[in-house]
Amino acid sequence: MRKTQLYEIHKKTAKMTEFAGFEMPLWYKGITEEHLAVRNSVGIFDVSHMGRVIITGKDAASFLNYVITNDVTVLTPNSALYSVMCNENGGIIDDFVVSRLEEEKFLLVPNATNREKDFNWLVTKAEGFNVKIEDVSDKVAMFAVQGPNAERTLQKICTADLSKIERFKCTTARLADVDVFLSRTGYTGEDGFEVYVWNAPLDKPYNAVKVWNAVLEAGKPFGIEPCGLGARDTLRLEAGLCLYGNDIDENTTPLEARLSFVVKFQKDSFIGKNTLLKQKEEGVKRRRVGLQMIEHAIPRQGFKICNEKGEDIGQVTSGTFSPLLKYGIAMAYIQTQHAQEGNIVNVEIRRKMAKAKIVPFPFYDAEKYGYKRKTSA
Amino acid sequence: MVKVDGYEVPEGLYYSKDFEWLKIEGDKVRVGITDYAQKQLREIVYAELPSPGTTTKQNEPYGTVESVKAVSDLVAPVSGTIEEVNTEVQSKPELLNEDPYGKGWLLIIKPSNLQAELANLMDFNAAVEWHKSLIKEGK
Repeated sequence: MRKTQLYEIHKKTAKMTEFAGFEMPLWYKGITEEHLAVRNSVGIFDVSHMGRVIITGKDAASFLNYVITNDVTVLTPNSALYSVMCNENGGIIDDFVVSRLEEEKFLLVPNATNREKDFNWLVTKAEGFNVKIEDVSDKVAMFAVQGPNAERTLQKICTADLSKIERFKCTTARLADVDVFLSRTGYTGEDGFEVYVWNAPLDKPYNAVKVWNAVLEAGKPFGIEPCGLGARDTLRLEAGLCLYGNDIDENTTPLEARLSFVVKFQKDSFIGKNTLLKQKEEGVKRRRVGLQMIEHAIPRQGFKICNEKGEDIGQVTSGTFSPLLKYGIAMAYIQTQHAQEGNIVNVEIRRKMAKAKIVPFPFYDAEKYGYKRKTSA
Repeated sequence: MVKVDGYEVPEGLYYSKDFEWLKIEGDKVRVGITDYAQKQLREIVYAELPSPGTTTKQNEPYGTVESVKAVSDLVAPVSGTIEEVNTEVQSKPELLNEDPYGKGWLLIIKPSNLQAELANLMDFNAAVEWHKSLIKEGK
């Protein structure tokens, strides 16, 4: 099984699990405790299992604009955006954040499951473009520091003024005397940063360990918790963020997944454009929705959804008990004519029907939680 | 009370390999999940239990417990008719984590074939040995 730079630390302190071929922490103290640390204060995740691909060259921007659906020409250096990358049928190959490091240099972060697939796809599609594509995943470690106290935590050990870094902006800096790249992004719905530790190869993880320990130390007064993949999943689900392989894959399009905000049809051409344009004109047959359980039950991946007449109208793609809200929540795909917010549907849970309501994302009150919150931590 | 590497294994109970305990109380039995089970599941947030009057069959599922991320079947240690269900754990499932052998009990069953079925369960000594082997295997 593959390991990250922090494997030796995780092994001693966490309950481990297999994910995308990696042996990763599932939880340290427990999913709920870690989840609430992030919602209420701050947590740190090792996300080095994800990929890191550097794209450089004269054609870097035009190449990216051809392979992904979003528009990187709007990015100034040190800014980032979320995008999907589609095949010719409009099916989602992957979703990721792209950061513009320099005018002709970009960083793309594939999902762990898709590291090899994305790299091969990019290389295949690069023919005719003046670009260099390099997979630096095993040389660079990556952490996510998330929560309303993320900035305060990192500022204690960071040379850059983080209050000047807006959401989806980035900076290079020294963190705990180590060279890093920071982007104000994340996968929890909260404010926070993703930290790239440049010089941290798998066989010499010294810098990665140093930064990890320094962040934990700096976050102590805020009650920082190291967080595993368990809390990462419940946090992203509460925030309404897709998990590749569950909620989106090559059989779903960004329009069905309600990610049309990352599809820029005004671009001249990009892979999948024609199919997606046709789907946009015709309308989607199903769409991704949020489900809030009304009855006391927990929806799980694969559970069937029925209307009042008992007809099959969709399926749950991710579900959990919400550690914050204390009830079952899910993402599901439902036939468009039944997918109105406010509709009541039935989720089949172990041969019984349980009522759920279609609700908007995020599941939590955005005035109280998440990066748009109005109250301070 | 004996602790096997941090897992409580009380004396005087019978144990199934489906991580349930059974206590004989006159002509009835009380059942629940073991300390080992609750520690593996962690953060139990939901317990789905049958109604009184329902019958159970040894080694067959009668309900489920769910943690944040996982669902586990509850498997009956004996056959019989359910006389009482602990409704408190349905409203407060954390009792299963806090007190699995006490307030976190699940069912009281009137067994139909207890003497024969006890032979399929572990007594205290066997349960201690079994816990040791579980921990050794790192399950």
